[in-house]
Amino acid sequence: MIPDTQGQAAKPTAKYRSQLRIYVDMMYVIQRESNQAKPTRILYGANLSHDRLVKYLEELESLGVIQETGIDDKVYGLTQKGIEFLNNFRRVESFASAFGFRI
Amino acid sequence: MMELIAFVIAIAVAYQALKAYNLSKEKTLLYLNLSFVLIGAGLLVDGLASLIVLVARVHRGFLYLFSVGYTINFLAQVLAYGLLVYAYARQARSLTATTEALAAVPVLFFERNAVTELILIFFLVYIAIQTATNYSVNKNTNSMLVFGAFTSLSIAHVFFLIYTVKPLFYPFAHIAQLFGFLLLLAMLLRVNRPA
Repeated sequence: MIPDTQGQAAKPTAKYRSQLRIYVDMMYVIQRESNQAKPTRILYGANLSHDRLVKYLEELESLGVIQETGIDDKVYGLTQKGIEFLNNFRRVESFASAFGFRI
Repeated sequence: MMELIAFVIAIAVAYQALKAYNLSKEKTLLYLNLSFVLIGAGLLVDGLASLIVLVARVHRGFLYLFSVGYTINFLAQVLAYGLLVYAYARQARSLTATTEALAAVPVLFFERNAVTELILIFFLVYIAIQTATNYSVNKNTNSMLVFGAFTSLSIAHVFFLIYTVKPLFYPFAHIAQLFGFLLLLAMLLRVNRPA
């Protein structure tokens, strides 16, 4: 569902978030905003630059986990696929965290 | 019988770790998966060997199966806990030579003895300390259950160590081992409960 993030040229160190982590942080913000998050909220909530926000929003939309729901303003909401993904991720995160492993 | 229950729980943990790895591609979760597959396989072989010896107790020829089962279980556990130690060390980026000295395990069949148990205790205590550190940071029930599980497994192997001189401790060791796996099962059930 979410692409593999390991094949990047530079090996990320612990202080950098993986692409998956950024996707999930953005989706958490959308969920927190009652599934109606404006881009600015996502930008601040997920701690992103504007360029990266636009790029990742497009990627998440193409993956079918978020969609534009606003009529006049741009507002993003999670799709059913996105909600299921986030639920699965929460379980996996909880499992890994129980052993002390970070995702 | 206790080994077979522990085997089922170990495979359930391995399956959950594989699911987590498939989603996140985080290598430490793959190591967790492999280590619980190894623990499960070792427990299965040891449990089946003990079962065969018990069922066919009139045939003395089967007694060597105890040693075969224990040897395979020991090697599987050394590899499994060694992998977990490696995973924790890798995460902490403080890999030392101790975790790389796993390869040279002589393949001879041996009975349960103090040296093999000391090796397992060494690994298990290291893992228990790591999970205790994690619990002290997270302070959540799942972390506490994992810490409890590895502490219980460490105690089980201390009992197995004492068993080599005091046979009375054998059942206590198995109970402690089973309790450790039951704590892992409780953690799995909590993680997978509906939101």
